[in-house]
Amino acid sequence: MSATSETAPVAHSRGGLLAADARFALLCALGIALFPFLLHPLGGYSTLATQIAIVSIASIGFNLLLGYAGSLSYGHAMFYGGGGYIAAILLLRVNPQHPNLWLCIIGATLATAVLAVLVGAVTVRLYGIYFALLTLAFAQMVFFIIEQAKDWTNGDDGLQSLPNALLPIGPWNIDLTTHLPSVNLGPFGNLGELRLWYIFAGLCLLLVLMLARMLIRSQFGEVLGAIRENEQRSTLIGFNAPAYRLAAFAISGALTGFSGALRGMFDGSIPIDAVGIDRSGSFVIYTVVGGVATLFGPVAGTAVIMFLENVLSAVTPAWRLIEGLIFVGVIVFLPRGLSTVLKQQRDKNPRGLFVRSLRPSTEEPDPLLKPAAEGQRGGPMSIIETFKLGKLFGHFAAVRDVDFRVDPGELRAVIGPNGAGKTTFFNLLSGTIAPSSGTINYKGREVSRLSGTSRVHLGIAKAFQTASLYPDQTVRQNCRLAALARVQGRFALQVFRRSTRLDDVDALAERAIGRLELLDVADVRAGDLSHGDKKRLDIAIALATQPQILLLDEPVAGMSKDEARKTEALIRKLSTEMTVLVIEHDMEMVMGISDSITVLHQGTVLATGTPAEIRDNPRVQEAYLGGHSEAELAHG
Amino acid sequence: MNAPTTAPAATQTRLRVDTINTYYGDSHVLRDVSLHIGAGETVALLGRNGVGKTTTLKSIVGWLKPRTGSITLDGEELIGRDMMTIARKGVSLVPEERRIFTNLTVAENLKLAQVTARKPGWTLDHVYEKFPRLRERLTHKGDEISGGEKQMLAIARALLQDVKVLLLDEPTEGLAPLIVREVENVIREIKSAGITTLLVEQNLYSALAVADRCYIIDQGEIKFEGTPAQVRTDEDLRRRYLHV
Amino acid sequence: MEAFFQALLGGLVLGLIYVAIAVGLTIIFGTLRLVNFAHGAFYAIGAYVGLVIAQHIGVGWAFIAAPIAVALFAVVLDRVVLRSFYDKEPTAQLLVTFGIALVVEETLRLIFGATTQQYKMPEALQGSVTLGPITYPAYRLLFAAGVIVMLALVWLFIERTTYGLIVRAGIRDRIMVQLLGGNIRQASTIVFALGAAIAGLVGAAATPIYSIDPATGFAFLVPSFVVVVVGGLGSFWGAVLGGLLIGELQSLTNLVYAPGSSVIIYLCMALVLLLRPQGLLGESEVIRQ
Repeated sequence: MSATSETAPVAHSRGGLLAADARFALLCALGIALFPFLLHPLGGYSTLATQIAIVSIASIGFNLLLGYAGSLSYGHAMFYGGGGYIAAILLLRVNPQHPNLWLCIIGATLATAVLAVLVGAVTVRLYGIYFALLTLAFAQMVFFIIEQAKDWTNGDDGLQSLPNALLPIGPWNIDLTTHLPSVNLGPFGNLGELRLWYIFAGLCLLLVLMLARMLIRSQFGEVLGAIRENEQRSTLIGFNAPAYRLAAFAISGALTGFSGALRGMFDGSIPIDAVGIDRSGSFVIYTVVGGVATLFGPVAGTAVIMFLENVLSAVTPAWRLIEGLIFVGVIVFLPRGLSTVLKQQRDKNPRGLFVRSLRPSTEEPDPLLKPAAEGQRGGPMSIIETFKLGKLFGHFAAVRDVDFRVDPGELRAVIGPNGAGKTTFFNLLSGTIAPSSGTINYKGREVSRLSGTSRVHLGIAKAFQTASLYPDQTVRQNCRLAALARVQGRFALQVFRRSTRLDDVDALAERAIGRLELLDVADVRAGDLSHGDKKRLDIAIALATQPQILLLDEPVAGMSKDEARKTEALIRKLSTEMTVLVIEHDMEMVMGISDSITVLHQGTVLATGTPAEIRDNPRVQEAYLGGHSEAELAHG
Repeated sequence: MNAPTTAPAATQTRLRVDTINTYYGDSHVLRDVSLHIGAGETVALLGRNGVGKTTTLKSIVGWLKPRTGSITLDGEELIGRDMMTIARKGVSLVPEERRIFTNLTVAENLKLAQVTARKPGWTLDHVYEKFPRLRERLTHKGDEISGGEKQMLAIARALLQDVKVLLLDEPTEGLAPLIVREVENVIREIKSAGITTLLVEQNLYSALAVADRCYIIDQGEIKFEGTPAQVRTDEDLRRRYLHV
Repeated sequence: MEAFFQALLGGLVLGLIYVAIAVGLTIIFGTLRLVNFAHGAFYAIGAYVGLVIAQHIGVGWAFIAAPIAVALFAVVLDRVVLRSFYDKEPTAQLLVTFGIALVVEETLRLIFGATTQQYKMPEALQGSVTLGPITYPAYRLLFAAGVIVMLALVWLFIERTTYGLIVRAGIRDRIMVQLLGGNIRQASTIVFALGAAIAGLVGAAATPIYSIDPATGFAFLVPSFVVVVVGGLGSFWGAVLGGLLIGELQSLTNLVYAPGSSVIIYLCMALVLLLRPQGLLGESEVIRQ
């Protein structure tokens, strides 16, 4: 997507953007409409087509979690089967004489959404195998409850022969089991084989596809992708990562529950296997085979595997082996799934669905108008201050009893030999790690217990020792993400709008790019930048959060002399507007730009003073020279 | 290199690093670094934090692979070999963080060095004689001993193997002054045992006291090659590249 | 009371199977940082190899052939497929090993059919032993003793041999082992094969007790993962403690409230993950892996 078109003023015609959405919908609708007739010559049948359409919805939901939030759930059967059972129970218990399909499906979807929020609240803080196993554990508990509640669920036998629920639309009560009129289509079967169910399921799938597309391309999807790409960075530009993952988990669970409810209603039965462990595994297979983190991948994967299961099984007993081999083959050879073979085009249209109707609120005054740093240099109030700050790693005290105070507007360098605790000290200030003892005050308020994310929103931003970027995004997008966090706050469920239309975000990002002189490379992928530009981009990202204190961890490390001097000048300029704390080994730079210097040694403050004072401090010399005085050295 | 080569290659060159360029990702850390160490020589590589000293050592042992240049041990090219192979040829790095196996006892740490050695070096008795403190700590776990003991143990591990070149990365770093003296004595012992050593130091005094020759590195480039006496007397040189 | 002791012994036998599988999982994770979902497949292959050999050649040979066959399979797997996944994110490892498990399970189904099978022990081992108030099948006791001996041997291998020394050092610091000239790659392969062989041997030995079908591997894998998480990923004694705990918990729950025996272990794991995410004996540093 071209970044210039993103930041250009609103010039694109609305017609063009609606046309793109309409084109997408039309394309999907066409595919869904043709699907049963393409399946027919291959040996498929109409029931299978309907089931594929329904289960695809669950796979799309699963993929939102795996592909876009990066969490592998091994328990999605709890939502799928759970949705099915809830729908069936609603069907049997609420007005059984006149069952209402809407009630069953919507009720089941809402109930699984609630379940997903509850389960997600305890699982989203875990990663990898731990997340997979904990979701599996919850699924097994749901399985147990359903199996044991025999009065409601009929235990191991599942619920069979459910009555047919009608779909009331306006004055009509539609019976979805009605066949379409018989029209012979030659090799493509007969239209009359299909029931109205297929149209209903197809419409649901169409709706979910459009919803998924909107989600992925929305501001919410953008932030979710950023968190997946670099959680550390996302947290330290001010996004509440667990909240985003929880939201993704809830949406994913609700979609899966919706699919399970539809499937139960269509089949007229729910087997206990619908909540079983193999069911959870099937969503993994469908999605991975089709293509993780692609829009149509889960649908394609569901279709291919369900087709194999139902058609190939009649031909050869080896069908499940073939399925397994496909699965392994895809993981080893096509990590992005079958859909990469089809050369799926990325949607080039940068505009979302409801962009115009939902402009950003104007509550937030133009952030650019606020002065960055408040207070005068040497004023009575420090901007950041620590008392007896300490951090233990096991028995090792990385930072001990550090009393530290910086005045607003100061440029303070923190130096010290390797292992002196400098980076740990910065991590304590930025909130990446919690102190073992002592307190941190920021503008007179204690912030020791606040998360890094909260501190970013108070105005403390950090650039990392090893640049922490979004390597797959352009420089401009990197900065926009940080600006977006500043403008929208820790969490916003902005699923309808795209961030590309937020002028204040653009302004903040452009300003940060300009200040770090990255304009020439603004549209380059961050991963392709030179080392020096990466380091500067990291600072620009921190700057785009509009900090009042900027923490820079070795900003010129690894740079050539020229780059280092250029970056030094940029930092000097930044320091006229905000407080800057910098860890650096480049002594030329430290001595040249600092107002004052703090020397850390073995986790404690050895000295604080002006560059000249530090240069002549014998204790500092000793720390650097290893326990011998200058005089001793000179006389060998 | 700005400074002229002063020390003639009196003995046979054991290790030669020839115009290597090493990167961390995109970061160009070593720029045309060249140095050489004769058999039995003790050479110091000096410089401030973050100027490329450790990177030089990592390049020699195969931990990092230089993009260009050559590193030879007794004439045999090392670039492209893996860490294990280079270690088995007798290039032994005592890393900055010591990297003691904290889940193993002191005795097990020593034993491991013996079993992974291609050829044995010092005997355990010899090691205990030189490092009597280790003998008292044999049953302690690696995370239950002091920083100085860790450094002794790390050096002892290297000496238990047949070392052709010993690379010591900041052996005195982070140690209390008294312990620093002890480690310095150990390095003198190593020197007097005739082991070829490349010593990386920020601690000028320690390094200058034992080195036959020294190099100064800054911003990834070798800026000076000469004798310890030259460094001692050249105040400007020290101010430019070595002091705070 | 007798039922209680029966359940206690039953829990021990079950728990020891979990321990054996979990120990393999945990040492493989410790040295290779690989989360191996295919470990249950090793159990199943061992069981089927054992079955075939026991029926056609003899039970004694089964116990020799099963671990060897499984170890060979593991080495091939390691060299051909898994090698490129060691440095990938855990999710990719989970997926590929899950896929391998799937392929193994289906291959076994094709060859041996889906039915449950078992082989008989020689007459001499079919009797029962009376221990105070209870009578218990002799083979089960022998099995328990055998697993304990095997675990002791594994422990001795890891703690007392020079190879074990390299393995333990590698768990903490792979780089330093190489800097000392240690062959970490070879040690990793040996650990992988060893972990697999243990699962294969236990699979062969447990078949007369629990019988086998193609899905058994996965059925044992999931509780074993629970064991590893409860005990602490990467910890030998964690796997032992967790395995015995989970085995007894399952067996005793079965005694008081049979339907709960399948879910109790998940409740237990969920509690551990929420209260002590690194596991009972685990170290906190592995949690984010």
